[in-house]
Amino acid sequence: MIEDKLLIFRFKQGRNGALRQIYDKYKVELLKLSVVLTGDVNTAEDIVHDVFVSFAQSAERISLTGSLKNYLVTSVINRIRNYRRDNNRHCETGLEGAEVFSSPERGPYQWAVLSEQLTLLSHALRELPYEQREVVSLRMEMDMTFHRIATLQNTSTNTVKGRYRYAMARLRSLLNGEVEHETRR
Amino acid sequence: MRPADDIRRLFKNAELRIHPDGDEWVFEDVLKARQIVTGNLPATPDSAWRTIMRSPLTKLAAAALVVIACLIGLSLWRTTGSGIALADVLARMEQVKAYRFQLNTKVTGEDPNKPYSSEIRATWLRSQEYGSKSIWERLDPNGGESTFVEAYFLPQKKTAISITHKEKKYSRIEYDDRFAEQWPQTDPRTFLKEIVACKYESMGRSTVDGIEVEGFQTTDPNWLGNRKIKVEVDVKMWVDAKTRLPVRYDFTTAYFDQMGDKIIRRQHIVMHDFQWDVVVDAAEFEPPVIPDDYTGTVVKYPAHITEETAIQGLKILVELLGKYPENINDDAPTVLRLAEKSETPAAMLLKEEIKGLTEDEIGNKLVDFLMPIRGLGRFYGLLQYDKKGPAYYGKTVTPKDMDKVLMRWKVSDNEYRVIYGDLHAETVTLGKLAELEKLLPK
Repeated sequence: MIEDKLLIFRFKQGRNGALRQIYDKYKVELLKLSVVLTGDVNTAEDIVHDVFVSFAQSAERISLTGSLKNYLVTSVINRIRNYRRDNNRHCETGLEGAEVFSSPERGPYQWAVLSEQLTLLSHALRELPYEQREVVSLRMEMDMTFHRIATLQNTSTNTVKGRYRYAMARLRSLLNGEVEHETRR
Repeated sequence: MRPADDIRRLFKNAELRIHPDGDEWVFEDVLKARQIVTGNLPATPDSAWRTIMRSPLTKLAAAALVVIACLIGLSLWRTTGSGIALADVLARMEQVKAYRFQLNTKVTGEDPNKPYSSEIRATWLRSQEYGSKSIWERLDPNGGESTFVEAYFLPQKKTAISITHKEKKYSRIEYDDRFAEQWPQTDPRTFLKEIVACKYESMGRSTVDGIEVEGFQTTDPNWLGNRKIKVEVDVKMWVDAKTRLPVRYDFTTAYFDQMGDKIIRRQHIVMHDFQWDVVVDAAEFEPPVIPDDYTGTVVKYPAHITEETAIQGLKILVELLGKYPENINDDAPTVLRLAEKSETPAAMLLKEEIKGLTEDEIGNKLVDFLMPIRGLGRFYGLLQYDKKGPAYYGKTVTPKDMDKVLMRWKVSDNEYRVIYGDLHAETVTLGKLAELEKLLPK
C-alpha cells in the first residue's frame, strides 16, 4: 500500500520510472482479469492497453488517497462493460475479430500468452452470465470481498452472494474434470 | 477442503505470461501517452501497439522477422584485407533469380520470474519473379506437437495467403500495388545492407560447411535501429570466397531492462543452407486449394491507392457514422464497432445486413464494403511511409466545414494538398496552409 502511494507520488512528479514500475506490477493481474472477463485474449489486451494509456494521461487526476490496484481494476471493469455494451447493443455477434487472422500464436508481437489452464478457464467462464462471471472472477482472482463487489455492481451483498453461488455451481459442472485434477495436485 | 478451494486453486494456477516483444510495444504506447500530456511529444493518432499488433500485415507475417533497418552508410564498397567487398556480394545477390534457405530462431527470456522460450524453424523459397513461399514450424516449448504455417507472398498477384493446417484456418489478403515494398520479409539482402550500414570488420578466412568463406562481423547496436533500450548485438555473416554469395548468417542479440542493468531477453537467429540460383517452377508458388472445412478471412485493399481512394473512404465513413472518425487509421473492426453505435440510415442497413452472422461471416461478407475504408487507411499510411507530413483533423472538422482542413499532406517543398471538410481538394502554399490551420478549432 505504501509502495503504491510512493509510486503514485513519483508518477505525479513526472518520473517515468514510476510509471514503468506501476505498469510492471499490475499488467499480469489486469490482463488475466481481462481475459477471464472477456473470454477473448485480443480484446483483453486492447482493454488493458487502453487502461494503461489512459492512466498515463491522467496523473493530474489521480488522488493519493485511494488504492492504486482498485483504481486500475475498476478501470478495467468499466472498460469491459463499455465494450460489451457497445458490442451487444445492435448485434448478437460481436464484431471483434471480424479481421481475425489465423496464426499459431497470434503473431510475433502478442502481449499475453495464456497457459492451457487459463484458456480452459476463460472458455468455461464465457458460459456464465456476465454479472456472475464478474463476481466469481473478482472474488477468485482479485480476492475482493462480496461487499466491495456489491459496490462495484451497484447491487446488494446478498445478490452478489447469490450470483457467486450460481456461478460456482455452474463452473464446477463445466470444469468437472479439471477441478478434480486440481484437487489431486 | 472448502468447496471453493479447488476452483480458487484453478484460478491461481491458470497462468498468463507476458511476451517481451509485445510488452515493449505496449509500454512504448503508455510512455508516449504520458509524454504527449507533459508536452514532450506532439499528439499523433499513431499507436505502436495498434499498428504492430493489430495489423493484418503483422498477422500474416506471423513468425516473420521484422528487423529495423539502420541507415545505409557509405562503406558499401569498402574491401577487406582478404579482398571481398560487401558491395560485390550484394550485387551478386541481386543477380540471383531464386534461392532457398533455412532459418532458425530462438528467443529466451532471462528473467527467472518470467521464464520464456520460443523456437521457430522455417524454410524459404524466394524468387524475383514469383515471390516467396515459406513454411514455419513453431516448436511447442513443452515438447508437444509443432504448429506449422504455410505462407505465400505473391507480388504479381498482389496477394498473400497463410494457412494453418492444425487449426484449419487460412487468411488471404489482396493488397494494393505498393504493399510489396512495405512487406516485412526475411530478406538476406536487407540483412546484408544493414550490416554494411554499421561498423563492421572482416573475421578473415575459414571454412563453413566445407566451403572456404570470409567472415564479417558487426557488434554495432545500431544494427537493431535506434532503440531506446540498451541492446547488445553480435552479427556474423560468412561469404563464399568463390561465388561471393552468403553461406551463413548468425545473429545474437540481447535486450536489457529499462535501467540497462540486466539482460531480460536473448534472441538467436541463424540463416543457413543457402541454395543460390535454384531453378523454380511457377507451380511451386501456387497455394494449395483451401479445403472446404477450413475457415478464414479475406481482406481486400483497392488495387491503386490515390487521393480519390481517400475521398471515397471518407464519404462512406460519413454516411455510416454521420461524421468523420477521430482517427484515420482505425482498422476495419474498429470502424464496424463505431458503426454499431451509429443510427444513420447506412448504419441501420449495415446492421441489418450482418445480424446473426458469425465473426468470420461478417468479415467476409463485408470484404467489398470495407475496401474503400481500408483504402483510406492505406492512403494515410503511405503518406506517413513516404514522409509527406500528413495531418488529419476529423476530431473537430465536420462534413459541413467547406473551408476547414480535414486532411493535408506535402506535395512539394512549398506546397500542400488539402482535403476540406466538404471533401473538395486543392493544392495550397505553405503560407496559406498555416492560415487555414490557424482557423481549426482547438
